[in-house]
Amino acid sequence: MLEIAVGIILGCCALGAGAAMIAGIGPGIGEGNAVAKACEAIGRQPECKGDVTTTMLMGCAIAETTGLYALVIAILLIFVAPGRFIDILLSVMK
Amino acid sequence: MFKNTNPTVVSETKYIAFVTVILSILLQSVFLIIGMWNYKVLLGNIYSGFFVILNFYLMGMSVAKAVDKDEKEARNVMKTSMSLRGLMLFAAVAVGVLIPLFDIFAVLIPLFFVRIAVFLRPFIKKEITEKGEKNE
Repeated sequence: MLEIAVGIILGCCALGAGAAMIAGIGPGIGEGNAVAKACEAIGRQPECKGDVTTTMLMGCAIAETTGLYALVIAILLIFVAPGRFIDILLSVMK
Repeated sequence: MFKNTNPTVVSETKYIAFVTVILSILLQSVFLIIGMWNYKVLLGNIYSGFFVILNFYLMGMSVAKAVDKDEKEARNVMKTSMSLRGLMLFAAVAVGVLIPLFDIFAVLIPLFFVRIAVFLRPFIKKEITEKGEKNE
């Protein structure tokens, strides 16, 4: 019975981490679109290259933090949560 | 090292590094005040801070590389770069969490410093510009 409970905990944590990492798709697409539009803008006005690059860098950094939130949640679910949940399970069973 | 790098990327990376150092000092002070400070916090913060700055620098490099290409190619460059940097960060943070030499919170919290740095950018840049004008 304990083995099944531990298996369910580990499986759910892995599933949760996988689901959290779906959020990692968004920033990749967003950054790609931002850079594509920046290329278009630089093509139209090449003298604005420096300004466009700076603004885009900051935009990309903001977009990337969404992926980082997901990464942190996934890491906590993979490496930290199972141990804590199993500890709780064992203390309840005692 | 920075000779062949885009000057915009270098200046923005320097700014991010500066804010990361300031926020790291702040983080250490908070840990000290709440009585949870030990060498693990310091090591975790330095380790994670290094990867945060490296990640931003690599992002800047790929942005600088992508703007010289055509639209479709630029999109692909950014997607590839994002995936590879994500893998790098995942591996780095996983190592930081697993090795007992680092404090988990000190490894995870600096990952959000870049967002704070971008949020503070208008205020800090404004102050630097005003100081420059006064000196002139």
